Amino acid sequence: MIGKLLRDPLAHFLIAGAAIWGILALAGDPVDPADRAITLSREQQAGLALGFERTMGRPPTDAELDAQIERWTREEVLYREALRLGLDRGDPIVRRRLAAKMDELAGAEVELAQPSEGELRKWLADNPRSFETGGVLTFEQAYFSSEDEALTALRGGKPVSEAISLPGSVEDMEEREMAQVFGTQFAEEVARLAAGPQWQGPIRSGFGWHLVRLTRREEGSVPPFAEIGDRVEADWRSRTIQARREKAYEVLRDAYRIEVE
Amino acid sequence: MHKLIGVAAVSLFLAGCSDGMPTDATEAQSGDGTDTIELAEFPDRPYWGDTHLHTDVSVDAFGFGVRLGPEEALKFARGEQVTATTGMTAKLERPLDFLVIADHSDAMGATRRLYDAPRMMVRDPTLRRWYDMMHESPEQSTRAVAELITAAANDEIPEAFRDPEQQEKNTRELWDRHLDILDRYNEPGRFTAFAGFEWTLMPGGNNLHRVVMFRDGSARTGEVLPYPGIDGEVSGLWDYMDAYEENTGGKVLAIPHNSNLSNGIMFELTGPDGGAMSAQYARRRAAREPVVEATQIKGDSETHPFLSPNDEFAGFGVAGWELGNLPLTAKATPDMYAGSYVRSALLRGLTLEQQLGVNPYAFGMIGSTDSHTALATGDEDNFFGKHTGNEPREGRAMEGQNLGTRVGRFGWHYLAGGYAAAWARGNTRAEIFDAFMRREVYATTGPRMVVRLFAGFDFTDGDWDGDWVRAGYTRGVPMGGELEDSGRAPTFLISALKDPDGANLDRVQVVKGWVDASGEAREKVYDVAWSEREMDGASNSPVPPVGDTVNRSEATYENSIGAAELRVLWTDPDYAEGQRAFYYVRVIEIPTPSWVLFDAKRFGLDLPANVVEANVIQERAYSSPVWLRPRSSPGDGPPIMDEG
Repeated sequence: MIGKLLRDPLAHFLIAGAAIWGILALAGDPVDPADRAITLSREQQAGLALGFERTMGRPPTDAELDAQIERWTREEVLYREALRLGLDRGDPIVRRRLAAKMDELAGAEVELAQPSEGELRKWLADNPRSFETGGVLTFEQAYFSSEDEALTALRGGKPVSEAISLPGSVEDMEEREMAQVFGTQFAEEVARLAAGPQWQGPIRSGFGWHLVRLTRREEGSVPPFAEIGDRVEADWRSRTIQARREKAYEVLRDAYRIEVE
Repeated sequence: MHKLIGVAAVSLFLAGCSDGMPTDATEAQSGDGTDTIELAEFPDRPYWGDTHLHTDVSVDAFGFGVRLGPEEALKFARGEQVTATTGMTAKLERPLDFLVIADHSDAMGATRRLYDAPRMMVRDPTLRRWYDMMHESPEQSTRAVAELITAAANDEIPEAFRDPEQQEKNTRELWDRHLDILDRYNEPGRFTAFAGFEWTLMPGGNNLHRVVMFRDGSARTGEVLPYPGIDGEVSGLWDYMDAYEENTGGKVLAIPHNSNLSNGIMFELTGPDGGAMSAQYARRRAAREPVVEATQIKGDSETHPFLSPNDEFAGFGVAGWELGNLPLTAKATPDMYAGSYVRSALLRGLTLEQQLGVNPYAFGMIGSTDSHTALATGDEDNFFGKHTGNEPREGRAMEGQNLGTRVGRFGWHYLAGGYAAAWARGNTRAEIFDAFMRREVYATTGPRMVVRLFAGFDFTDGDWDGDWVRAGYTRGVPMGGELEDSGRAPTFLISALKDPDGANLDRVQVVKGWVDASGEAREKVYDVAWSEREMDGASNSPVPPVGDTVNRSEATYENSIGAAELRVLWTDPDYAEGQRAFYYVRVIEIPTPSWVLFDAKRFGLDLPANVVEANVIQERAYSSPVWLRPRSSPGDGPPIMDEG
C-alpha cells in the first residue's frame, strides 16, 4: 500500500505541494491572525460593479458580479501572501507605484473636498493673475512701409494707409488676439499707449510702421466670481493638491539624511 | 494608522472611477461648440493648429521615452509652460488655437503597460527582450521601438501584444479618460481640443497612415473606440467612419499623411486590389478624406524634383525621406514618386475624374507636426524633436535616425514640422471641423502667413479698394471650392501676408494642374507676385532669386529683402474651355535658418558645409486648391460653404 503510494505521481505532487506550502508558511513574517480575515465591504462591491459597467456598458448580472468578487478575493489572498513573503521589496515597479500613491494620498483630501464659496472667492482674490483676461483695445491704424512716410503722414493730420490686408479699425480686440493679427511687437507697444483722440506713432511691427489712434482701452480685468466659479474651483483644486504633495514630501524628506556618493 | 488606510482606500477608489479629475467639463465644453459663441459673417482669420500630435499613450512615443500625457500636451498647445520629458522647460511663443491629439489606435497604451508589467509575466521572448531594452536605457528603449515599428511593418508583432479582447478593454479605459480631459480643455472661442487617433495601416512598411479627427464631444465620441488598423484595409476604416456617423449623428474625417513614405501606394491610379479603381471607391475616398497633410517633421510631400523638373522650388524637405518607405525596409524608385506626392496625386485625380466621373484625390492641404514628444511645436527656433530621443541635445542633428540609420537618413533631415491653418468663423469644434470638410484650410511649414485665395470670373483690380474679402465670398469661391467652367478664364484674388513675427515674403506662385486635349496631365508654376528686385527685363524670364541675408553661424537673418504683403489679381493666361484644372497658391518666404543652424549656434557645432547650406531654407505655405470643372460635370466634393 505504502509502496504503491510512493509510485503514484499524484501522491508525489501532493506531497511536494504540501512541503512547499509548509516551507512558505514558515518563511516570511509571522502571521498576524487579524491578517487572515478578508472583508469585502458593500462600497467595494459597488466599486467592482461600477468598474464592470464602465468596461462593458451595462451593469453585471449576479453571476458576473460573483465572478468579479471571486477574482478580487483570489487577488487579495495572493497579494497578502506576496507581501508576507516580501515580494514587494526590490521591485522597481512596486517602488514607483507606492511612491505615486503617497503623492495621491497627500492630495486625496483635497480631491474630495467641497470648498465653500467663501474659500473660492478668497482664492480668486489672492490669485487674480491666473484669471486675468488681457486688456481690450479699440483703435484705428494706418500702415506705412517706411518710418519716414509714417512721420510725414503724422504731421499731415489725417493719415492715409498704404494698402495692406490688415484691419484699418478694430473694436474691443483682446491683446492676445492683437498679437496673432499684428504680431507681438505691435501688440506690446500699442498696449503701452495712452488712449486719446490723436494719432500716435510711428509704431514698429513685423510689417513696417503704423500710426495708431487708440480711442478706448479697457485694462485687463478679472472676471467676477459668478462667471468663472468653475475655473476658480479647478485651479484651487489642482494647485492645492500640488502644494500639499510638496509639503508632505518636505516633511518626510526632512526626517532623512541623504548622501549621494 | 487605520485612518490613513481609510483615506488611502477612498482615494484609490476615486482614482479607479473618476481618475481624480478635478472638475467636470461644462456642457458648452463637451459638445461641438454650436451656439456657444458669436460667429463672424465670413471666416475672418485663420485659426492655427496641429492635427497630429502623439503623447505617452502612443505605443512608439512611450517607447521613445516620452512621459508627458494628453493633459500636458493640451496645456503646452494653449500656451502654458510645461517641463519636457528630458527636463527642459518648453513654451510656445504664440499659443495654438486648436489641437488634435492623434495617438496610435493600435496597441493604444500597450508599451506603457508592457513597461509597467512585472517581468515574470512577460513570457513572449520578443516582448521580454523589448521589455528589458526599455528598462535598460533610453537608447535601448528607442532601439526597441524601432524594432517594434519594423515588426509592425513586416506583420510580425507578437500575438501577446495585440490580444484583441484585452486590448479593447484597455483602450476603453484610456479613451474614456482621454475624452474627459479633452472636454475640460475645450473652451469655445479660445481653444479647441479635438478627439482623434492615428490609424496606422502600413503594408510592408509602406506608409498609409491616416489621422482620424472627430467633430464631436464625448457624448458621441464615447460611443466608439479608436479603430485599430495595422493589418486592415482602408475600406474598413471608412466603414467604421460611416457607422460612427450613422449611429451617433456625429461627423468624422480622415487625413492621410506621409505619402512621401508610401513607396507610391498612397495615391494609386488603381484600386487597392490592383484592379481598376471603382467609382464607388473614388466617391468614398473623396467624401472621407477631404484634406491631406502635405508637410510635417518626417518631410514634405508637396512634390519631388523628379516629378516637377521645371519647378525651381520643388524638393523642399525631400532629402533623406525620398530614399524609401517608413522603416526603410524597401527602397523607393522614381517610378513610385507619382503615387507618393501630393501635386501628382491632384493630377491623377483629374485623370481619374475624367474616367470615373468622380475625383478621389480632390483634397485640400494642411501641415502638422507628427511630434512624439507631446509638444506641438513647428517653430525652427523651438524644435523639440521628432521624439524624446532627439529633444534638444548636442548630437541630434548629425546622428543617424532611429529608422533607416545605416541607409542615409540623419537627424538634420527632420523638418521642424508644420501647422494647419483653418479659415473659420470662430474657434469651435464645429467651425474648424467644417472648414476642414470644405477644404478651406492651408498648410505651412511653420511660419504663420495669412493666405487668402478666391476664384471667380468677374473680379477686377478695383475689388482691392473695397471689402475684397466680402467680394471674394459673395462673387467667387474660397480655397477648397469649385468653379464650373463659364467659357471665360477664371480670375483669382490672391493675398499673402507675412508672419508678423517672422520672415518677409519672396514670392507668391500659382500651381496649375490640368488635363490637356490629348488627355495628358500637365502642371505649370506661375510666379504671380514678388517683392521688388532687379529684373533682367525680358518679359518671359523667370523671376530672379530674392537674395540671402542668413548669417549661418549666428542663425539670424535680416528682413531687408522681401515684402510684408504680396497680393495680386491674376487671370489664367493659358485657360482653354472645357479643361479640368486645379489651382493652388504657394507662398515662399525669404531664406531663413532651419532648426539645425539654431542647434549649431546653441551647442557650438562645427557642421559640414553641405549640411549648413541644406539648412538655409525657404519656408512656405500651400493653399488648398480651387478646382475648375467642365460645365454640368457632376460635383462630388463637399459643399462649398456650410450655411448651417
